Amino acid sequence: MERKHFLKSLLLGAASTPVLLSACSKETVSPTSGTSSGSGTTTGGTSSGSGSCTVAPTETEGPFPTKTPASYLRSDITDGKIGYGLTINITVSNSNASCAALAGALVDIWHCDAEGNYSEYGGTGMQATNYQSVHFLRGRQVTDANGKVTFKSIFPGWYSGRATHIHVHVYSATGTSLKVTQIAFPEGTGTAVAAVNGYAKGLSGYTANAQDNVFSDGVALELATVTGSTSAGFELTWALSVPA
Amino acid sequence: MTDRTITLCYRKIMDAGAAKPWDKLVWNDSYAEFRLQAQNFNPENRYRTFGEMLHYVPGADRLHFLVSGAVTGYLQQLGERMPDISDNLGRQFLRFQRFQFELINSDLQDQSRHQVAVNFVSEPLRWHDTVGQFLLVSPVAAAASGGEVLTHLVPLQPFLSIYSILTPETDAAANAG
Repeated sequence: MERKHFLKSLLLGAASTPVLLSACSKETVSPTSGTSSGSGTTTGGTSSGSGSCTVAPTETEGPFPTKTPASYLRSDITDGKIGYGLTINITVSNSNASCAALAGALVDIWHCDAEGNYSEYGGTGMQATNYQSVHFLRGRQVTDANGKVTFKSIFPGWYSGRATHIHVHVYSATGTSLKVTQIAFPEGTGTAVAAVNGYAKGLSGYTANAQDNVFSDGVALELATVTGSTSAGFELTWALSVPA
Repeated sequence: MTDRTITLCYRKIMDAGAAKPWDKLVWNDSYAEFRLQAQNFNPENRYRTFGEMLHYVPGADRLHFLVSGAVTGYLQQLGERMPDISDNLGRQFLRFQRFQFELINSDLQDQSRHQVAVNFVSEPLRWHDTVGQFLLVSPVAAAASGGEVLTHLVPLQPFLSIYSILTPETDAAANAG
């Protein structure tokens, strides 16, 4: 239920025209001149100043942190998940510029694993999680001069109520949301969906595109081309236009 | 008395006053990620702060998790060593693998109001005794058989807490079962 609700809210966001966060582009406060609460950042190592003094660490310096892109920024989003290989090619064009290729856009994708589970639903509880095992099957790439990005992943499984799909969120180079949408898969005899056959689950109870609450209003623009086989892996190709 | 097994939680808060390089990187990158991800929960840019989104938009609590992706790379750089907390000899000895990232406050138009925390959960420790303000602990993994056990004295301090406890009774029950 919650998932449906969330999907709906995403669609709502997609339908409304994204407005530039104009005020955001101007950074008003530099990190050093900001207000410091002073209470949180000085625990442990330095003296906390709260009466009970703790020994300051006397240790070899380090670690030496380096600027790291968000763990989302990668082309291989498999994370050790088992399934039939899937290469995802997405091409983004600009509907405001005669459909010219849109370079430098952020393309964010996420989909479920072979069993139909998302990483995002594992991390919402109060439990701490292992830092090496979160955010599987989620990734982000920047489009090249041809507006293209490529991801390596596995063929998505399915879950009750939905046809096979991949979520896509396209941002401008400055991070403004341009489009939230989903990629649909061809179905029926001879298609990849039929070949994968829902992995261990089978396809009993599967929701076809025509019955899907997202795709049932017409799937033409969301439908990808999927070729390949379970042995050689699959290749998905899809193009979309966004107003940039 | 048999020793209890505990894990410690350190809630490391990073805000505009972040001074160390690691803290600043986490603070800056989590803010950039928040501005990206918040758009999923902010139709027509109606809201400005994380607090407003939490209050008005169903599902906005997922932002904690969604933004954490900007931080996991930095956690890896720590090499499983918990920052800041040292024993009474001034050595950092706590190891961690589990964490939880937390947005405390944020504002799409004012980075200085961005506040985040990483909750580090330590690897299991044997809690042998409490000496004044100190917990006498040793890593479970390093438990010696019958001989000498090397220990650490950890001072109790703000933002450090016991996250979980395993008493010998449940230990025994689990083994019996």
